[in-house]
Amino acid sequence: MTREKMGNILVWILIIGFGAWGLPGILDRFANGHVNTAYGSYIPWGLWISAYIWLIGLSAGALMISVMTYVFGIGAVKKVGKMAFLVAIATLVGAMMAVGLDLGHPLRAFSLILDPNLHSMMGWMAVLYSAYFVTLCVELYFAIKKEQVRGEKQKSIKKILVVLGIWSIPLAFAFHGGVGGVFANVIAKPYWHGPMLPIVFLAGAFLSGGALFATVAYIWRPSQSKEEFLKMMIFLGKTTLALLILDEILELSEIYVGTFYSAYGEGHLWQQILFGQYWYTFWIVHILIGVLIPLFLLTAKSKSPGAIALAGLLIAGSFLAVRLNIVIPGMLDPEIKGIADAWVHSKLTFSYLPSIMEWQVLLFIVAVVMAVFMIGKKVLPIYQTAGDE
Amino acid sequence: MKSWNTICAYIGTKYMSELYTDILKNNFKGVAMSKEELSRVDEKLTLETDESRRDFLDKFSKGIFGGLIASGVVNALAPVQAKANMDGSNLNFSEPFKPFDLPPETPGEDGILRMMRDIQRALKKPIEQRHWKMVIDLRKCVGCDACSVSCAAENKLPPGVIYRPVIQQEIGSYPNVGHVTLPRPCMHCDEPPCVPVCPAEATWKRPDGIVVVDYDQCIGCRYCLNACPYDARTFDFGMEYIDGAADAPKVFLGKEKAGKYETEASYEYEKEWKREGDQSPIGNARKCHFCIPRIEKGMLPECVVTCIGRATYFGDGNDPQSLVSELIALPNAFRLKEEVGTHPSVYYIK
Ligand code: SF4
Ligand code: SF4
Repeated sequence: MTREKMGNILVWILIIGFGAWGLPGILDRFANGHVNTAYGSYIPWGLWISAYIWLIGLSAGALMISVMTYVFGIGAVKKVGKMAFLVAIATLVGAMMAVGLDLGHPLRAFSLILDPNLHSMMGWMAVLYSAYFVTLCVELYFAIKKEQVRGEKQKSIKKILVVLGIWSIPLAFAFHGGVGGVFANVIAKPYWHGPMLPIVFLAGAFLSGGALFATVAYIWRPSQSKEEFLKMMIFLGKTTLALLILDEILELSEIYVGTFYSAYGEGHLWQQILFGQYWYTFWIVHILIGVLIPLFLLTAKSKSPGAIALAGLLIAGSFLAVRLNIVIPGMLDPEIKGIADAWVHSKLTFSYLPSIMEWQVLLFIVAVVMAVFMIGKKVLPIYQTAGDE
Repeated sequence: MKSWNTICAYIGTKYMSELYTDILKNNFKGVAMSKEELSRVDEKLTLETDESRRDFLDKFSKGIFGGLIASGVVNALAPVQAKANMDGSNLNFSEPFKPFDLPPETPGEDGILRMMRDIQRALKKPIEQRHWKMVIDLRKCVGCDACSVSCAAENKLPPGVIYRPVIQQEIGSYPNVGHVTLPRPCMHCDEPPCVPVCPAEATWKRPDGIVVVDYDQCIGCRYCLNACPYDARTFDFGMEYIDGAADAPKVFLGKEKAGKYETEASYEYEKEWKREGDQSPIGNARKCHFCIPRIEKGMLPECVVTCIGRATYFGDGNDPQSLVSELIALPNAFRLKEEVGTHPSVYYIK
């Protein structure tokens, strides 16, 4: 059995499994709203918002691969540009599902596209995501079209793709840096507040998205020679490694500054992240699975494509833990000491562990992301190449 | 001749005693009631159609408050809900404010009366010339939670939604300890961090200083909950107090009877809000609004009139004659978290 076939079977099994497991959560969300979630009024954002940042980051990262293809003309990834668009679209759909289900009145959010509050970074998100979605679809359309025509026509489409690609660079910086801005703006939360967060968000997005793409390109590679394939994987591996190192430098800097005064500002929150109840999300899921093992795999002498793909999968998957460790700790401190004991209710507490229903909804979303990718791959000619003239 | 207050109190008590005698006689004999007896009790307790309950509430509130202050004021102190028909049809919020008579000013009169005069004066000015402010005297607050509970009743707050919790804190270390109680309404900040973050422009500051939420516009993203440095906003998760309660159709406090509270409308922002299905205010950010429907009719916010320690004051901060202006000028008046730059409209005295 070929790698692609095995990948297909495995992913469809996951889609069916996650979908079936997650469906009750979705039904619960529609029947009972937010009642069975573990977040409340003092920790208003939970797993779904973390998943939204995770997925939108993956999307921005995949988009950057397509920019490398169409704007910078990097040969190693020239045959996977269309697939990068598809990954970006699928993860964007998932991100929108996650944030949509998190809203109290999801349908009203559509009005934001036309009439947002442009003072609010979240208002900007509605505009930027719409622009991003349209851009992705148009880019994918032209990327497919490019392979179907020849001569002058192909040249002009190539130009369009360069223009669209250049346009998507500031767009990606704006919408993902902007997600960082949503958090960084909040003066009430010292753990989020500051100019560093949008940059950390961007670095994380490019790292996780690029890493995911290494896995996707490994399993569903287009027809290419062995050397071409090796070249592509080594390029993706190197990019991932460079971004991983950059991301870790940023993280170290944050931890160093954050923990310098343990009794002041956000020091105690870092204590919680590093040594608190959920220490394993940082040390095991993030550091061991998401940093050390991939680092080992990416720096290994053998440069095996399989190892690079595995490293990519581990980084992209475990990045949810990074996102959770950004979102949740920011809200763990009461604004006024003693407020949780003033009016006691399960939705008025300062502890958070996602409920089963929240995990189910997330699994369902992941199933949808995979299904969009698999169906898109099947119905769209993303492997077709006409060769450049 | 008996005074009007006594008459009111009498009617209230009589109604109560009649009701309870009825229930006690029939229900607690030890054996189950007959079907007719049950339906008779049921009829008495059927709230929407029963004219007498409205009478009762009106008269009862008059009776209770009548003992406190002059009868002319009493009517204005009764909760807005008690004066509303159950469908709210007799509440006309669009009507402009009509000043009502207050007893003549006397030296050393109750602060409530003075504040009501302050409100009447303020309402005669254009909206942008008044700035509603609240003062809470921490030395007088006894931490009884009456304000939290009455606010919940006035605004029909569901579980998990609270506008004015009273925070209790021990300070110092043994044996040098003290106890602080701190009621925390929305601060109605002059620079509210909750406003610019709202993607839907669903929350803003009115010209009279009140920060409001438009339930019909709010998408329920909860960004403002995170942005508020006072944790003053809570989200309506659509929960009900009767969730999981026993279904006991014909008994006094079965799910159905107790659930009447949940289905009654609230009149926040001078509109009728029924919590049904996933309709607003379910799925929205909610917070204290200084009881807009009450102040627009010349009444004090519910927490002010129910404060047993007379620790909460309310009025127009732009009026130098008002009681709140006098209190805000005290050297021991302060605001919470001044360092965040929010400029709250709520002051504390310590
Ligand atoms: S206290 Fe909070 S909710 Fe109230 S106005 Fe200030 S920031 Fe907004
Ligand atoms: S929860 Fe409602 S009021 Fe608050 S920021 Fe979101 S849309 Fe605005």
